[in-house]
Amino acid sequence: MKNEKVEKKYIPEIPAKEIDELKSTIQASSEKIMAENIERMKKTDPKRPQAMKYFDEISNLFGQRQRELAAEKEKGKKIIGYMCLFAPTELILAADAIPVRVNSGWYDTSKIGDRVVPVEVCPVIRSTIGAKMIGLSPFLEQSDALISVLTCDGMTKLGEILSDYKTIWEMNIPRVKDAPHSLRFWDDEIINMKKQIEQFTGNKITRKSLKAAIEQSQKATRVFRRLQDLRKGNPIIMGRDAMLVNQAYLWDDKERWTEKASALCDELEKRAERKDWVCPPDTPRVLVTGTPMFWPDSWKVPNLVEEADPKGIIVADELCSGERILNDPVGVDEWTMDDMLNAIGERYLMASTCPCFTSSDGNEDRINWLLNKVKESNVQGVIYYVTRGCMLYAMEYTRVKKALDKINIPMYYLDTEYTREDVGQMKTRVEAFLEMLTARADM
Amino acid sequence: MITLGLDIGTQRVKAVILKDGAVVSRGQAFSGFDAKKAAEEAVAQALNLANLNRQDIAYSVATGSSMENAPKTDSTVSMMGADAKAGVFFFPKARTIIDIGAEEARAIKCDEKGVMMDFVINERCAAGAGAFIESMARALEVKLEVMGPLSLKAERASPINASCVIFGESDVVSLIHRQESKPEIARAVFDAMADRISSMVHRLGVNPDVVLIGGVAKDVGFFASLKRKLGVEILVPEFPDYAGALGAALAAASRAKETQK
Repeated sequence: MKNEKVEKKYIPEIPAKEIDELKSTIQASSEKIMAENIERMKKTDPKRPQAMKYFDEISNLFGQRQRELAAEKEKGKKIIGYMCLFAPTELILAADAIPVRVNSGWYDTSKIGDRVVPVEVCPVIRSTIGAKMIGLSPFLEQSDALISVLTCDGMTKLGEILSDYKTIWEMNIPRVKDAPHSLRFWDDEIINMKKQIEQFTGNKITRKSLKAAIEQSQKATRVFRRLQDLRKGNPIIMGRDAMLVNQAYLWDDKERWTEKASALCDELEKRAERKDWVCPPDTPRVLVTGTPMFWPDSWKVPNLVEEADPKGIIVADELCSGERILNDPVGVDEWTMDDMLNAIGERYLMASTCPCFTSSDGNEDRINWLLNKVKESNVQGVIYYVTRGCMLYAMEYTRVKKALDKINIPMYYLDTEYTREDVGQMKTRVEAFLEMLTARADM
Repeated sequence: MITLGLDIGTQRVKAVILKDGAVVSRGQAFSGFDAKKAAEEAVAQALNLANLNRQDIAYSVATGSSMENAPKTDSTVSMMGADAKAGVFFFPKARTIIDIGAEEARAIKCDEKGVMMDFVINERCAAGAGAFIESMARALEVKLEVMGPLSLKAERASPINASCVIFGESDVVSLIHRQESKPEIARAVFDAMADRISSMVHRLGVNPDVVLIGGVAKDVGFFASLKRKLGVEILVPEFPDYAGALGAALAAASRAKETQK
């Protein structure tokens, strides 16, 4: 593990007193924001499922889960953090270590990150750097090593900058998926990562332990898909609630998450039988896509959509902080070590719709995924969410817009920053968009 | 049936009274610090002109960037929704509506019924809107109303930066130092604005007929620059600054009919 005293390549010196002050102020305001978000979600659905109580609690980033991870570390378990969804969590689980995603959704820490990188850089990156500088994120602090996958420019340099504090393992991802040597190259990265994790944890990844880890994530995917299927019909759960459930998987215990999400689905099925809709069935159905939205501050857009007048409901998303987490299972034919590793490689590379990919047809997978989702979930409008500096999503907008124009689905480009100051202006836009969806539906 | 539309803008509040599909009167007041009071004033003006009482209004709708400060109305409509309705009311063949107010510029694509199909708004900066002309007029030491006619006298255009009011102003100052003529600088201001607006409209698609509304539509200098940049005919209705309020009054009329059903 890295000694934090070593001379830093990027991070400027900050007096310990200033760090303490910043950390306690931001943590206090973050605790307030998390509680407020949950109150707002409860208010939107007065008959909110009982099973949400668990997810409300586990989503307290400074709460129960932090204490559990501390206890696991005490027992000698390693915690392996990651920034991109491409990190093969099954390998981490199979080595009896704990995977946890560490991207920051805190607005206030992005201003601290500004001391290291300019404001033109994507705020997800600036905020994660800022969070590390003041030690705000329990999961990032508890991580013994970080997997940094070289996807967008921001992510590529984020790992490098965080190497001032943490042991970083890079994974080099090919940008063109459909070339035959790409998958071979990525498979080698997976095999290397397996060795790296084994060496670091001192635990060998066996055929048996890897099979168990894959089966666990397959179970989680099945429950996730059950939840998504429930969202396809008349509105049975607010989008924000489902999004919080999805995102909690990133830091929760995987087995327990699967159990609790399954209980939520049971409850929702009963609710559907009673036809007890969470909002009128003609509420405009919205899909959100673009820059990831991390809990808690980046709940801005979901809050706006589902509290707007006229109100909308988010029925699906195409976000790496949402549906992409669990949408695709690892598909294994034969449970040999080679076959399992290949299946993991394929799952992480081929199934992803991240805009870091291109091909002679561009990022065709993302377009197809979106078109399919719009049809399946009966989506009436798409919000294309981009934070300033999020180049890849910004650049793919025009193509997605054209594809959706063809099937007559309106899409609105909603650009923003890690700030609360633009909520008023964004509200105007979101409400006009929802009003338009309502008017179009009436035609 | 008599309906009322209120547009609570950043600079002015506008009111329009509509009777059976025709405008009967208008009223306006400066928003100032108390938009609610200004709105009451604008409504009183319009009622007075039309010889009507508040009780005669069957339905009222508010719109505008400060609509939450409006006095109590029956409902609200988005600014873009109101623009689309007004544009098609003025010109039935209108499919692209451009609305430029004091601090915001927007473009709306609509169908033949005046239903908004798509929209874009300028990026959180007044550089593409009326406030830009105002601050440039200050830098040139001329009256706001003079800017337009002045610019039409220019023989050529000088480029300035309109990505930001602050940078724009410093560009204007350096043009003044280079002793460019006032007409040329005024033209540069409108060209820069029109450049921004036209790329915004192009993102939406330029579908004729194109209609320009909002307070800035009255400015002959901006109208000429935008027409040059977009390369299409641009229609401007009478009283373009009341378009938002009219759209709200039209929305009020159709909502009143719905509630009567």
